[in-house]
Amino acid sequence: MTYASHLTIAAFAFSTSLAASACAADPIKVGVTVTQSPPGSVVQGTQVKDGLEVVAKMLNDQGGVLGRPIELVIEDTQGLPEKARAAVEKLITRDKVVGIVGEHQSSNVLAGMEVAHRYHIPYINTNGWADAIREKGYPEVFNPNNYNRRVAMAAAESIKKLGAKKVVAFAENTDYGIGLAKGIGEQLKTVAPEISYRFDTLDRAAKDYLPAILPLRADPPDVVVDVMLPPAAYIMMNQVYEQGVAPSAKTWFYDASGLADYPDFWQNIKEAGKDLLVFGLYHPKMKAPELAKTVGDAYTKKTGAQPNRLLYQAADSLLVLTDAIKRANSTEPDALVKALEATKYTGTRGEITFSNESGYKFHQWLDIPYVTFQVTEIGQKVADSPLVEQPGQPLDPSKLAHP
Amino acid sequence: MLSGALAADLAVNGLVTGLFYGLMAIGLALIFGVLRIVNFAHGEFYMVGAYAYTIIAARLGVPLFVALPSAFLFGAALGWVVERTLMRPLYANIGSWGLMRDEYAVIVTFGLSLLLVNLVDKAIGPYAFRAPALVSASRVVVGPALMSGQKVAAAVVTLAALALIALFLRFSYWGRAVRAVSQNRLGASLAGIDATAVSSLVFALAGGLAALAGALLSPIINASPDVGAFPAIKSYVIVVLGGMGSIPGAFVASLLLGLVESFGAVLVSYQYRDTFGLVLLILFLLFRPQGLFGERGREV
Amino acid sequence: MSGDIRLRREFIATSLLLLVLALLPLAMRDVYWLGVLVVSAYFAILASSWNLLAGFTGQFSLAPAAFAMIGAYGAALSAAYYNVPPLIGLLIGTVSAGLIGLVLGRIVMRLRGPYLALTTLSFAEIVRLVASNSINITRGDLGLPLEPWFNDRVIWFYVFLSALTFVICGLYLLLRSQAGLFLEAIRDDEIAAARSGVRIVFWKTAAFAISSAAAGFAGALYAYFASLVTPELGLVQQTGLVVSMTVIGGMGSLIGPVVGAFLVYVTSEWLRDVGGWQLVIFAALVIVFARLFRAGLWGLVITALAPRRKLA
Repeated sequence: MTYASHLTIAAFAFSTSLAASACAADPIKVGVTVTQSPPGSVVQGTQVKDGLEVVAKMLNDQGGVLGRPIELVIEDTQGLPEKARAAVEKLITRDKVVGIVGEHQSSNVLAGMEVAHRYHIPYINTNGWADAIREKGYPEVFNPNNYNRRVAMAAAESIKKLGAKKVVAFAENTDYGIGLAKGIGEQLKTVAPEISYRFDTLDRAAKDYLPAILPLRADPPDVVVDVMLPPAAYIMMNQVYEQGVAPSAKTWFYDASGLADYPDFWQNIKEAGKDLLVFGLYHPKMKAPELAKTVGDAYTKKTGAQPNRLLYQAADSLLVLTDAIKRANSTEPDALVKALEATKYTGTRGEITFSNESGYKFHQWLDIPYVTFQVTEIGQKVADSPLVEQPGQPLDPSKLAHP
Repeated sequence: MLSGALAADLAVNGLVTGLFYGLMAIGLALIFGVLRIVNFAHGEFYMVGAYAYTIIAARLGVPLFVALPSAFLFGAALGWVVERTLMRPLYANIGSWGLMRDEYAVIVTFGLSLLLVNLVDKAIGPYAFRAPALVSASRVVVGPALMSGQKVAAAVVTLAALALIALFLRFSYWGRAVRAVSQNRLGASLAGIDATAVSSLVFALAGGLAALAGALLSPIINASPDVGAFPAIKSYVIVVLGGMGSIPGAFVASLLLGLVESFGAVLVSYQYRDTFGLVLLILFLLFRPQGLFGERGREV
Repeated sequence: MSGDIRLRREFIATSLLLLVLALLPLAMRDVYWLGVLVVSAYFAILASSWNLLAGFTGQFSLAPAAFAMIGAYGAALSAAYYNVPPLIGLLIGTVSAGLIGLVLGRIVMRLRGPYLALTTLSFAEIVRLVASNSINITRGDLGLPLEPWFNDRVIWFYVFLSALTFVICGLYLLLRSQAGLFLEAIRDDEIAAARSGVRIVFWKTAAFAISSAAAGFAGALYAYFASLVTPELGLVQQTGLVVSMTVIGGMGSLIGPVVGAFLVYVTSEWLRDVGGWQLVIFAALVIVFARLFRAGLWGLVITALAPRRKLA
């Protein structure tokens, strides 16, 4: 036996004993609220849950945090604000969690963070885009994820580059949908006031959107914008295609919700997905830190699915919290909030810091990277879709494929 | 305000939707006709049909033309079991409800609805399932309108099923027995018709038809535990509009409701379109309980 | 046994139950479980108010959750737009539910059985759809936030318990008076009751309005407790829960709905960690009780005690 192998064995023994001692120690409980049943998006919830579990396992395999293992306590919200509120209440009062992560729906963040604020427990917003979340200015709430203002600006710039004159958006009746649809309108007014824009609010529990779509058939706009989430978004997209509205030779379909990297996208969408323009928070062709590959591989091993944006958002949410616990050397709320404010942590998508400006920038990671890509084939993997807009650069119309 | 093309589109869309409503609602009307109760678990037969079709076709890989009738049979079997176990007190005077048979029916079918929804939620999971389509084309030209291939296929099967039911009720012995019991249970029994068997038959038929509707629409509206809520509500509206228990009335009311919703959404309000039918239901129960075509004098 | 003695016995049993609950915080101060008891008390008020209609008057409304939602929105909207203090908000919620109940009760007076069930169900769905689609006023599914009245769970627990006691006493006094006799007469045979001079329209409408007001009261109180009002409060499933609690506890008795509400809600929270089959079990229980034993758990207790009484 060589010296090196002795060393490896010793290191291995040391790390397992460390891990074992961590498991013996009192766990640090982290509360998770995700959607595990309808009417909310179960697909989103499952991606977030899997992502958090992957990272928790990685942390625990490395000996935990402060020598204590991380334990996730997971609650289902069904995507309903009232359930989210009750879930956060339960996590804080019954399970005594040190922080809440995982929420992926704006309305639920808005309901849940009220409770976290009342009990003064850190709340890491994993995927709530609504600006209202930041505008509340709650010191406990941190946002290492995308925000509506950023998508609105991106969408407005892209629509302008597409040379559109008339734009119609379909928004779901949530804080996210209505907030973003309004935001796109405001941004368009500043960057391209000549474009006529309106949005229709659709009930995400409805099964048929034809009456809202049929009037577009006679007089199609230049761009249809999706501001809805699955499963409602799939029904809407299929019906928009079925009626020959978009994607078509005349009309682009711009997906502001980034649907194409959902695992069930191609189970639900066929021709309607071809030529789609997608606002993407993750694309395999984007540059990413080392950690992204480790986390992505572990995720693929666990689920068999390709990495996606929600995986990385979930991972960073938990990592930002555990990083703060380490730096604060404590799980006390005051110390944690203070440590979170001083965050300078390279996660899976870049270096995360939180702004202290008020308004939509409050406790927000401002420089969230994003791209725009186009789906050019039915059943195409995101990795194979061409980027039409690189991070930090405007959309390049010459790269677009026309239907 | 309405262009000709849009009006045609809305009419086609409304009529096709109405056709599906018809398939969902006819069973409810049959049950009301024979047993004079509203089955509050009606939507769950639809849900069960959607799941049966999806699982048989997608999981077990059975050909679609076999999976579709299997869903019907599954719903029919469930309907038959429900009638045998739970509906007997309605006419056999057993159980502790005595005179409150209407109340018993409401509670027991309401409980059944809760049971089936939660059972499927726990046993199969809360996830929505997408079923394989009979016709996979996303866009088909039908006259002036565009439709998904599945919708066209479902409409054809629905028409065929409705025609078969009409023939069955009109010409077969059991069909005539169903109509006889609907008109006068006691009289039919005196004439030697087995009213108990007719009740079972009607429940099986209603379960089967609702399940068939669920199966046909499951490639368009994904199967999930709570998917039965909307067909149930639409069916209540249709049965009241058509005249409680009337089969032709229910069919006409279905088409009408489809049209009202389709045009109303564009002309009146898109947001509130699901309330149109419900408002009609209340108005009809209050001012015209016999429905669109029924005779006066039915006890309310 | 006359109805009067039966009612008094039920009232005493309910009072004992409420007393035991009132002593609970001495032994248990867990914030979470106090919250569970608060929600149970909310459902106990709803179930008791529904029982007044279904159990004592024979009016099978499927709208109790809708009236709770109306009460909650009454409080939340008046707080959001006119900055009304909680006590006034509570009053507004209760009165608006009561008034709407009065109108609906008068309208559906003639309807029975499935017709009444369908009409009230449609009403409930319309109210819920309007609340969730009038986004500019109610913020739709996102819900209206409310400033919580106070945060201490023990205080909330006693507030809800007092509210429940208040409702139970009110029901007891109502049922013990002549009104109780009239209502039961109407339930058992409306035509005979009318013939012997009972003012059917008045009593049925009054029962509907009182029941609706009580549900609205519970809803408004809950709004301040939850500090978020969403259209979910009015879902048919919530009505399903209310019906289940009443049927399992024992319909047509004063104590049944209270026992049913606490039992069903506390047990389902307790079973939450073991897979969540509780709703399946409760739904099955509803069917079993309805099919085999209409008097519910309370009825079972009475039957079990009855022979021993005779011996003594």
